[in-house]
Amino acid sequence: MLSSIWEQFINLSLIVIVLRMLPPILLGALGGLMTDRAGVINIGIEGLMLVSAFSSIAIGAWTNNWFLGVVGGTAASMLVSYAMAFFNLKMKVDIIVIGFAVNIFGAGITVLLMSILFGSHGNYIPATPVSIPAIVIPFIDQIPVIGKLLSGHNLMVWISILAVVFCYFIIYHTPYGFHLRATGEEPSAARSLGIRVERIQYSALIWSGFFSGLAGAYLSMGMTSMFVRDMTAGTGFLALAVVIFGNKNPFGILFGSLVFALAQAVTLVIETAPGNAVPSQLIKMVPYTVTIIALVVYALRKRSYKKIRTSA
Amino acid sequence: MYDLLEMRNIHKVYPNGTKANKGVSFSVRKGEIHALVGENGAGKSTLMKILFGLEAPTEGDIYYNGEKIVLKSPKDAIKYEIGMVHQHFMLVPSFTVAQNIVLGSEPRKGALSSLADHKRAIAETDKLIQEFGLQVDPQAKVEHISVGLKQRVEILKVLYRGARLIILDEPTAVLTPQETVELFQSLRKLVNQGYTIIFITHKLNEVMEISDRITVLRAGKTISTLDTAATSKEEISRLMVGRDVLLRVEKGPAKPKETVLSVRKLSDFTETGKAILKDVSFELRAGEILGIAGVEGNGQTELINAITGFSKTYEGSVHFLNEALSGKTIKEIRDIGIGHIPEDRQTKGACLTSSVKENLILDLYQDKQFRRGPFLNQRKIRTHAKRLIEQFDIRTTSEDTLAGSLSGGNIQKIVVAREVSKSPKLLIAAQPTRGVDIGSIEFIHKEIVKKRDEGTAVLLVSAELTEVMSLSDRIGVLYNGELVAVLENSEDLTEEEIGFYMLGVKKGEKKAVTS
Amino acid sequence: MKNRSAIYLDVIGIIGAVLAALVIGIIIIFCVSNEPISAIHAFLVEPLTNAFTLGSVLNRMVPLVFTGLAIVVVFQSGVFSMGAEGQLYIGALTGALAAVYIPGLSPWLHIPLVILCSIVGGGLFGMLPGLLKAYFKADEIVSTLMFNFIAVLFVSYLLNNVFKDASSGGFARTPYIQDSAKLFQIIPGFPTHYGFIIALLAVAVVYLLLYKTRTGYELRLVGKNPLFAQYGGIKTKKVIVLSITISGALAGLGGAVEVMGVHGALKDNFSAGLGFDGIIVSLLARNHPVAVIITAFFYAYLQIGGQTMQANSDVPRDLAIIIQAILVVFVSSQAIFNYLKQRKASRTGGASIAK
Repeated sequence: MLSSIWEQFINLSLIVIVLRMLPPILLGALGGLMTDRAGVINIGIEGLMLVSAFSSIAIGAWTNNWFLGVVGGTAASMLVSYAMAFFNLKMKVDIIVIGFAVNIFGAGITVLLMSILFGSHGNYIPATPVSIPAIVIPFIDQIPVIGKLLSGHNLMVWISILAVVFCYFIIYHTPYGFHLRATGEEPSAARSLGIRVERIQYSALIWSGFFSGLAGAYLSMGMTSMFVRDMTAGTGFLALAVVIFGNKNPFGILFGSLVFALAQAVTLVIETAPGNAVPSQLIKMVPYTVTIIALVVYALRKRSYKKIRTSA
Repeated sequence: MYDLLEMRNIHKVYPNGTKANKGVSFSVRKGEIHALVGENGAGKSTLMKILFGLEAPTEGDIYYNGEKIVLKSPKDAIKYEIGMVHQHFMLVPSFTVAQNIVLGSEPRKGALSSLADHKRAIAETDKLIQEFGLQVDPQAKVEHISVGLKQRVEILKVLYRGARLIILDEPTAVLTPQETVELFQSLRKLVNQGYTIIFITHKLNEVMEISDRITVLRAGKTISTLDTAATSKEEISRLMVGRDVLLRVEKGPAKPKETVLSVRKLSDFTETGKAILKDVSFELRAGEILGIAGVEGNGQTELINAITGFSKTYEGSVHFLNEALSGKTIKEIRDIGIGHIPEDRQTKGACLTSSVKENLILDLYQDKQFRRGPFLNQRKIRTHAKRLIEQFDIRTTSEDTLAGSLSGGNIQKIVVAREVSKSPKLLIAAQPTRGVDIGSIEFIHKEIVKKRDEGTAVLLVSAELTEVMSLSDRIGVLYNGELVAVLENSEDLTEEEIGFYMLGVKKGEKKAVTS
Repeated sequence: MKNRSAIYLDVIGIIGAVLAALVIGIIIIFCVSNEPISAIHAFLVEPLTNAFTLGSVLNRMVPLVFTGLAIVVVFQSGVFSMGAEGQLYIGALTGALAAVYIPGLSPWLHIPLVILCSIVGGGLFGMLPGLLKAYFKADEIVSTLMFNFIAVLFVSYLLNNVFKDASSGGFARTPYIQDSAKLFQIIPGFPTHYGFIIALLAVAVVYLLLYKTRTGYELRLVGKNPLFAQYGGIKTKKVIVLSITISGALAGLGGAVEVMGVHGALKDNFSAGLGFDGIIVSLLARNHPVAVIITAFFYAYLQIGGQTMQANSDVPRDLAIIIQAILVVFVSSQAIFNYLKQRKASRTGGASIAK
């Protein structure tokens, strides 16, 4: 069994699978990162992703255009995240409760619309498949190893990696990013300098909707070519874990997402490998366990740092 | 030198009815350091909040450069070149010094000016640092620098925004003596460069040292504005603490008995290592009231925390009836007969979202007589609560009413009832009548004296000098973490005298009561 | 008990929110359905009209009462645990093991034993995030979410590999439980099983615990004002650990009752969100244990109504989920409730609040 993993590793299939698993986790986590940095815990990423997954494939199939699908799905997700911001900041609903409500809302609305529009409760497969294209790089795809590494991946894989860089720039190199972090870390300081804290939090939630939207579109039009009810299956929560695991840093999150995607890929390989011995559930548990450990380690680190300051 | 700023007849009534300013007039000349002094609650903070656009005055006008202005938010204040250094730092810990300074008005670069220009932020910070001689490393993270440097960053922040009038709210409260000296040098330099400074403080030594003129506030009104050169600490002190309402408390002479509380060489430090209590020693005997006077923030909170078990980091010893308290939990300390009326009843002394009854049984719910099998004996609890409500004249519709729906005075009576009814050997009363109506004040004072007469040792900590004077048998004064005096409260002890100690005018004639 | 008028306002507000959410649901039905009247009938009326559906509502209510109570306990102590789902699985696991593998006991002994095992299992599992929060300051929201996944995966692993019933074919489940551990129908022919009684007992126990015992007093005080609790000498960390442990025990018991009363075996993924539904039930009940009976019933009623609607009309049951989501948001909207209170205050006080 180990040999079969090794074999897949050698012929790079494993890496291809990892990259295929990467975008939803990574984009979802970036969405979580933007809100987290503004001091808002968004546990509704799961719901946002579902909304986008459904709307993007529905719109994509209707217009027969994957791009319009992505735009429509992302817009739908952003609309819901705007509503989250409204209810949190204006109606003073606790953000955890809101996130929670969005998760069940996403599960409900997608199936409701699916059954009304397409008469199905379980899944929707468009008559003519519509999907986000894969990028085959000419010439490079001919080169043995590099070809497989770089070419043939879904467009969203590249977008998600670019999004890491984009987030990094936004957070660390724009005035907006400074305001975002100041809002999350020391809102009174931000406010005293005329930064409109509430507006920043609105924008952060909408960013969250944007990235979750891209993630959702990939789920239905990239990773698969259909919408299945509750197809996120915890990816949104996983994304939250990655935010912690990656220490709230875009590149840390890229690393974390790769680790989580690897765990998923290995699970997949093992499940399909003949005569597998290691139960996939145990491998799937690893990222969650590691996240809990990370949570404790970060908390401890914060505390020991405080101690150093006290004794100084 | 002309009047840069004038605040005319400012009134401020808060929605809850508190009158913080009752006709304050105040003017600042260009290029001076103007000290604003007054006791806690004299209205200084409110006045400055109004000036910085954080609060709107109920009445009154503000003139800046002779022109009437309206300040709706800090943004407006910044527009008029008014800047404020808050007492609690408004800094983002994970940002560098430069990033904190430019936050909110970052230099930009790139297409559509969308990027923050780190280099220019550092360069501009450097320029400011050079210009004003406020040395600090622009690239250091704020969470790693000392309190004194943090304050410099705050001042630089204000300067970066182009402020010409700078308000400093108790800037020395968190500084070491050395840092204070450096701060004063910087302020002098700023004034020489044409800046104007409003300096809020309690410490008269500093006032005399740094200010050009002084405005004294008392009870929400301007008492006087003086030239520093033409006045003395004694005069300012007299103006500050002048007696307004005379609260007489009927009490006979104390009959002190055995020592109940003995504090020896108690020292405590802040997280950053600043000494906040320095070698405090005193003894307190059964049947007497020791009042601790002092401006707030001079170590009172830490002293109480050490005795009540909230703080465990202190050095020195605290003994209760010859038993060391250092190893005991809060619960154990409460159970051996120490009652504690905490300084903040809203957060510590009472649970506003619980019923009156539940607030009254904080110590007793574990008592055997209030149990019935595994359950609380509701009937007994109810009777007990009813008795206390009657005995302490707590005005409430029933024992099930939420504490938070009562008036401040009645909430405080709940706290007093609970702490006094347990018949403590030692009663610590911190700010027992703050924000309480006159009727309740009288009632609470009587209760405290009654306890003394029954043989309880009372440690009264209050920022209200009149309260300390009218209740105490002996008076100790905390200044800068030191117990600078312990005096017999005799006929010839005047408020002025205590004021001198409280404000750091007089020091050293410590009649240490050690045995 | 506390402030009468405040409670009235709350109740009126919640009923208003329920009506508003239902109205939105009905509007959606009119928009999407060709037979809106029969859909609404199937959704709102049918569940209450025949014994079978009413019994199903009560059965569906049982686990919701348990997870709702689990959340009530943690929320009242100021701990934002999302962990009922995982605790439910672990409790179901330990309970099911006792129910399946211990033969030859009388029901009077076996059922209490299963209950005890589930309480211990769920409680110990619940204790973990509590310890992490109290002693390491690890955020309980994230940690409990993670523990949920771990629990579900762990149970799934055991069901697929260790305790799998050889005769279950493709299904991952344990062998069926002993007859002595089964919870039968209370009234033969009426679907509701004895778990319903256990749930009501649990409500009584939690109510007494929270409002009539020392532990409950400490727990509520820590939730309302931790500083005051600390000042009174209450060890807040221990109370936090205790509350989340009790919460885990309740959720775990709920899992075992599902196994004993509904499924007859521990099945992979049997819960499908009961733990999360508990959060809604508790929020709607304003975290009061007795009100949980009403909100769990209402919630179950919506779910069963959704099912009958799906069966008898062209509207899918997921409409019920949307109504639940809207309802949660409305009921949790502090702004609305504060507004109500302010309006009341200004009316009774005579003085209008100047704007």
